Amino acid sequence: MKLTFNAEDERFRDEIAQWLETNLQGEFAKLKFRGGPGDEHMFSEERKRWEQRLAEGGWTCIGWPEAWGGRNASIEQQVIFAEEYARAGAPGRVGHIGEGLTGPTILAFGTDEQKARYLPGILNGTEFWCQGYSEPSAGSDLANVRTRAVQNAETGKWEITGQKIWTSLAHESEWCFVLARTESGSVAHRGLGFFLVAMDQPGVDIRPIEQMTGTSEFNEVFFDDAIAADLIGEPGQGWHIAMTLLGFERGVSTLGQQMQFQNELNELIRLARSNGAARNPNIRQRLAEAHTGLRLMRYNAMRMLSDTEDAGSESSALVYKLHWSSWHRNLGALAMDVLGPEAEMLESAPYNLTRMQSLFLFTRADTIYGGTNQIQRNIIAERGLGMPKEAKGR
Amino acid sequence: MDFTFTEDQLAFKEAISRFLKTEVPPEVLRDICDTEEGSTSELRQKMAEQGLAALSVPENQGGLGMDDTAWSLLTQELGYYAIPDSMADTAYVASGLLTALPEGTQQREQLLEMIAEGSIRIAVVHGVNPLVVDLHLADKALVEHEGEVHLVSREQFDCERNTSIDSSRRVSRLNFSASSASKIAGADDGSGVWAETLNRGALAVAGKSLGLAQRMLDLSVDYAIQRKQFGKPIGSFQAVKHKLADVVGGIETAKPTLYRAAYALANGDARADLYVSHAKLACCQAAMVAARHGIQVHGAMGYTWEADLQMFMKRAWALQASWGTAEFHRQRVADDILADGVAIGPQYTFEG
Repeated sequence: MKLTFNAEDERFRDEIAQWLETNLQGEFAKLKFRGGPGDEHMFSEERKRWEQRLAEGGWTCIGWPEAWGGRNASIEQQVIFAEEYARAGAPGRVGHIGEGLTGPTILAFGTDEQKARYLPGILNGTEFWCQGYSEPSAGSDLANVRTRAVQNAETGKWEITGQKIWTSLAHESEWCFVLARTESGSVAHRGLGFFLVAMDQPGVDIRPIEQMTGTSEFNEVFFDDAIAADLIGEPGQGWHIAMTLLGFERGVSTLGQQMQFQNELNELIRLARSNGAARNPNIRQRLAEAHTGLRLMRYNAMRMLSDTEDAGSESSALVYKLHWSSWHRNLGALAMDVLGPEAEMLESAPYNLTRMQSLFLFTRADTIYGGTNQIQRNIIAERGLGMPKEAKGR
Repeated sequence: MDFTFTEDQLAFKEAISRFLKTEVPPEVLRDICDTEEGSTSELRQKMAEQGLAALSVPENQGGLGMDDTAWSLLTQELGYYAIPDSMADTAYVASGLLTALPEGTQQREQLLEMIAEGSIRIAVVHGVNPLVVDLHLADKALVEHEGEVHLVSREQFDCERNTSIDSSRRVSRLNFSASSASKIAGADDGSGVWAETLNRGALAVAGKSLGLAQRMLDLSVDYAIQRKQFGKPIGSFQAVKHKLADVVGGIETAKPTLYRAAYALANGDARADLYVSHAKLACCQAAMVAARHGIQVHGAMGYTWEADLQMFMKRAWALQASWGTAEFHRQRVADDILADGVAIGPQYTFEG
């Protein structure tokens, strides 16, 4: 066990902290603490330019191999980067899907040609990605994907037809990776393919979905004989690739997320002290509980990311989403209670939410997206504890 | 011990329920939320015509003379249909306040008559409820000031209208200076009246919250039956079923606390504060659980603007801290049961 960073890591920390301080200035100063959960719709153009600035500094895709433009950064360094990034209040990443999901997937399953085509755009912050998994009938039951991919006999190109839903940032993205059925008549996780599809083409129609926050961060995406630029891996391998990708989702980005949580908790403590709520014993206890929950999350994430033979680490990964989503939801509810009667008052008409209202409403989604709490518990019980699977209707 | 309602009360509730269901289906609710005021005078007028405005005004002033127990039923209906109107503030809270004032108090009878006719909006302003719904639309405000009752007309006070997380609500703080001219009752009469009024405000919120909880439950049950995943209705999965079972558990256990509190208010029970706080806590809690589990059962759909659920959830959330936060009401319960000389012992266990 080693719970400290070494001298080289600390130098790395100084370097990124310094860089962020120098660069979060001028046109980027207004992006501080913006674009996070519940605020993704704000400043998208400026945040894309920020991605390019990060790239110029060599601060995108730091975990990628050097051969593909990364720094081959260690887990510790990736943790440090995520922490410093959030500590500085640097804006929510528009490039996180490409960097964290598409890139690692292409690195793991793509050909050299595919790597050469797609990785530079992600690295440079010039091409952004969205994730085409969920469908109206494939939410918790993700394997129930109905979007079809048919290979055109003349051109050899795969053509995609179907509907995706809850697609975050589709309207800001050049590319979408799409899980689609390559084998007609196949069911569940068999017969799927993993496709890369350009969003700017006639066969793709993007319609925003209005959230209960009054904003639109996610979309419905309709594919009508849209042409896929590439298939990753082989037809039929889609489910395996998709699941591997979801594993990347639990990676180091969680540490940055925790730093955002810490920022939110700090803000809430500041509010409670200023409006007198912090004198209320019940609120005090709940703030203390929130603080404790966040530390638990941090240690658990560090342990999860440790390269260890510890038999518990698999379980620690399985329980992680359930823990943070529930914690964050409770923080949102606590924020409303700290504010008391004023909690309902909007920042301004017609429907501009305060930061705490955004937090509260957005956290209602945390226990749903990326696998609901109920699905998480099933996974913990079935995969973690080896319990029998729940009966399905097919 | 008898928790049943009279036939008159039940018949009235049924009639109002049918009326609200027809008048304010979710699509109409959305349209009203989109208006500048988040409410309409047409709906207000129609509700008055149904007898809601006159419900608890004394018969001498042209009212129906029904008491708090009738309101414990009707506020649930107002909540169930998320009626975007502050009718209960005038017809129940303000009317109750005026009725409790000594006969002959300046403007008392006249105002009660106007309430019964549905021709006036009266807002009630109390320190426990600093953000008042539709204050800017009120013709008059009844204001608590050091235990006294002050009556002010709209032109005599300022208020800044704020929008709410609930699209139908417009809330304001009152700006006005109390004077001997605005005083209609001194602290001698006022203190008791205000204690009762605070309880009525809290009870109205409790009833509406409970109605909202029931609506969210009904929507969620429908959704869980109709939505299929893994080849089955999601309602067939225990994880989903149990969530909704917890919701109905919260609602059903809260309901008698609401009725108990209404009965205490109607009968001038000395421990009304305690019973009302029970009701406010239990009903708001039931609504919060219904909102939380309701959205979870609806999945991502529940997070959209398009799904009706969000309107009911936001109302429930906004009401949570209205007429006393949970902390305030827990404190009142604690103050009662921890007081010196409190009636605790085997002989009191099931009293009240």
